[in-house]
Amino acid sequence: MNWLREIARRLGMLVHRRQFDADLEEEMQLHLELRQQEHLESGMTADSARAAARRQFGNVTSLREKSHVAWGWEWFENLLQDMSYGLRMLRKNPGFTSVAVLTLALGIGANTAIFSVINGVLLNPLPYKNPQQLVVMRENDSLPNVMDIQRQARAFSEGGGINVQRMDYTGGTEPVQVRTGLVDAGFLETLGVQPMLGRIISLVEDTKGGPRLAVASYSFWQNFLGSDPHAVGKAIPLGGNTYTVIGVMPASFAPPAEHADLFVSIWAGDPGAAAQRDVHFMHTYWRLQIGVALAQAQAEMAAIDHRLAEQYPAEEKERKTQLVPLQEWLIGDVRSALLVLFGAVGLVLLIACANFASLLMAREVARHQELVIRSALGAGRGRLIRKTLTESALLSVLGGAAGLLLAQWGTRMLLALRPENLARLSGIHMDTRVLLFALLISVLTGVVFGMAPAWVAARGGVAEALNENGRRTTASAMGQRVRKILVTSELALALVLLVGAGLLIKGFSRLRSTNPGFNPANLMTMYLQLPPTRYREIPKQTQFRRELLARLNSLPGLQAAMVTDIPLGGNYVGHAFVIDGRPPVAVGGEPDVQTLSVMGDYFRVMQIPLRAGRDFTSLDRENQPLVAIVNEQMVRQFFPHENPIGARIHWARETEPFQWMTIIGVVGDVKHSGLDQPVDPAVYTTFPQSDEIWRSFMTLAIRTRDMSPGLVEEAKKQVWSLDSRIPVSDVNTMDQLMAVSLAQQRFNMLLLGLFAALALVLAAVGIYGMMAYRVSQRMHEIGIHIALGAQRRDVLRLVLGDGAKLAFLGIAIGIAGAIALTRLMTSLLFEVKPTDPETFAVVAIVLAIVALAACYVPARRAVRADPMVALRYE
Amino acid sequence: MHRDEIPAGTLYLLILKTLARSGELHGYEIANSIQRISEDVLQVEEGSLYPALQRMLIKRWVTAKWGTTAGNRRARYYQLTAAGRKQLAVEMSQFERVIGAVTRVIEAV
Repeated sequence: MNWLREIARRLGMLVHRRQFDADLEEEMQLHLELRQQEHLESGMTADSARAAARRQFGNVTSLREKSHVAWGWEWFENLLQDMSYGLRMLRKNPGFTSVAVLTLALGIGANTAIFSVINGVLLNPLPYKNPQQLVVMRENDSLPNVMDIQRQARAFSEGGGINVQRMDYTGGTEPVQVRTGLVDAGFLETLGVQPMLGRIISLVEDTKGGPRLAVASYSFWQNFLGSDPHAVGKAIPLGGNTYTVIGVMPASFAPPAEHADLFVSIWAGDPGAAAQRDVHFMHTYWRLQIGVALAQAQAEMAAIDHRLAEQYPAEEKERKTQLVPLQEWLIGDVRSALLVLFGAVGLVLLIACANFASLLMAREVARHQELVIRSALGAGRGRLIRKTLTESALLSVLGGAAGLLLAQWGTRMLLALRPENLARLSGIHMDTRVLLFALLISVLTGVVFGMAPAWVAARGGVAEALNENGRRTTASAMGQRVRKILVTSELALALVLLVGAGLLIKGFSRLRSTNPGFNPANLMTMYLQLPPTRYREIPKQTQFRRELLARLNSLPGLQAAMVTDIPLGGNYVGHAFVIDGRPPVAVGGEPDVQTLSVMGDYFRVMQIPLRAGRDFTSLDRENQPLVAIVNEQMVRQFFPHENPIGARIHWARETEPFQWMTIIGVVGDVKHSGLDQPVDPAVYTTFPQSDEIWRSFMTLAIRTRDMSPGLVEEAKKQVWSLDSRIPVSDVNTMDQLMAVSLAQQRFNMLLLGLFAALALVLAAVGIYGMMAYRVSQRMHEIGIHIALGAQRRDVLRLVLGDGAKLAFLGIAIGIAGAIALTRLMTSLLFEVKPTDPETFAVVAIVLAIVALAACYVPARRAVRADPMVALRYE
Repeated sequence: MHRDEIPAGTLYLLILKTLARSGELHGYEIANSIQRISEDVLQVEEGSLYPALQRMLIKRWVTAKWGTTAGNRRARYYQLTAAGRKQLAVEMSQFERVIGAVTRVIEAV
């Protein structure tokens, strides 16, 4: 540990340096005075005595420096000297300094902003106990199965599930719907977050006929319990029953993927579904035993699946449970987008760095004489390189600091733009890791990209450079070569980014112009749910619906209809079905379709076109023959060669007599799950003919020119005039739902577009700077050309040709790079190939134009070169 | 009066020996002592004592403490350590070996 002590000593002495200097000074002073005294006593004059003493003593400054060297301080002193010199140089060249700092700030700022997102989303651990042990099942499961797995699986220490249902909360001023997490006792236990107040539901209470207990989320506690510290024990009216609050979760807690305001036992909230093995409605989370690998757990689950399938062939025949680590499952979609963005922003940084290096290089070459003089005076090459590096490191740290400010602002912008599935972004902020990242990339850019110019600067012979034409030395020529390489690579990188952005923009515009299958303009939607406790019979539900539609449609200037789940609203219910006259399908193997119930001229209100057959009429009601309308996808998939009109279907797993429905019409396809999602086959039925009591919810679709809050209030008033305890929620215009559906694509496109624009500007500045420098270097050469009779045109061609060569080389390399790289973003593109030739062509042309425009400015200056000046110079 | 530069590499030896003989000295006294005992033949560039003393401090051959001179001035007094004494022996034997070799070369016939 000798070196450790050595470092400690050096550091310690650095701190005491001032004391050291004072001591040495005093000691030397004493020596000089004593010697002087001695000379005086031997009869010298005062002046000669002092001079003799000094002569005998030697060079005080050099002796002091030697003492410093002995203590190992010279590096520190050199550094201080280099830094103060560097700062002085930067202050003296504000133009150069600001361009360099701004260039780096853009690169570092953009990187830091994206890194802070990556840090928050991909790197920070999930806010649960030992989150690396948590896994999810891709498939939902039923409570009886979950309980069997909890009992049988040895791979898991804990596990539990959740199903979020809307329940009416009538304890406030207005009836509202709250998102209630129906959970088993294992759910909160598995995530391992302690409640802030009270306790969570215990195993004993989580049972059929158990007490009605509720654990509130922090937001529910704030909004509905008045942040009451004594909320535990309060009774709240929920879903037509009374629950007792037993605990409140902390603000930092949220289920991994669900939004829930409250947590209650499934047995209390939905006892009917809880007991049924084939109601697979719980999303489950499991904690691996310590030391158990995922593959082991997966193997055990396969065995359990097999056992369940044998035991319950009717319900569980098709089991194939897949386990996924929670983190991976949560960030699956976002991950690729973030990594592409990170890659893109890395390219921006590279361009910025190339620009930075190129700027430095130009300056070093311009200062070559100075460096040569320094080395002629005895400065070592190492010292010269260190001096230049100190300057570039200073610049890059300044750039990094400015970049941090940019990043702070950029992160705020990212948060404002974030799509719904980046909800975890809320945890994003500048933490130490982000700051370290910014510091690291700033210093790295300073050192790595400062190295080339420093090296070039320190080369070249002294004698050669000291002569008058020193500026055209090997160093200068080599600098030019390196700058050419830098500028070419900038252009190539910019092209890659522009192609990426171009592809996303094209995909986005395709997506935007995708026909959703209905007219989204002037459409207002809102969601209601009839409390199952009070609307237990279909006729009662039908009566409410019919009356509500009649009252709404009597209002002037609007048309109202209803559907179970509105397109783009994020939900739908699937059902397996059987077609009359087809060979029987094995139980569990029946095809699935989207099922929607409608009422009140739904297709006309939504403007979904009728393709064949007829629309529902008011006669298609209860006690009439059952009818259904299907979409075109259904026809394509299940009736490819026959007329579907008149065909009969029934829902699978019905017992005889089957409830046959006759297909009476075909409507156009609707993008139900999202504009970028494929259309599923769908079957529409009418609400009055439904026999599923649990489908007591509905979404109103109101077409009107008046989208004001007044309309919403009027609609609510109509609902409450029929039943004052029915909450109205999810009030959205269809434009809002469309925007949500586009959000992720928009986010990707905006960011990559922004980065590409940055890259374009930086590359343009790069090629401009290089050409401007070249022209200024060749001014007298060009002047001679003009003196010898060269025309304006020739000079322009000379300079532009120079730039064009670089531009085209850069573009060619960029195209090759883009072809290799855009494959990585395939998953982000909507209906655009990653090698879309049109995008490539447009981008190449844009870049060529920008590059030539950047060259044109210095070329214009070249044209104005004065031949007289050039001749005199020679 | 002609004075000879001290032979290269012997400055440590001279300082160590001086301190070994006299105990505690400050820089000026060390310089004077070397001069006096060599009968003014050996001339140290006086200032170079100080970096040398610093290096010897780092190597822990000497220690230093502040005291007062006869003329009531503050001065830094240097003193040999055990390591310094050992180093003196090393330097002495090295020096004798070199001098012996040099003598043999110039006296050979």
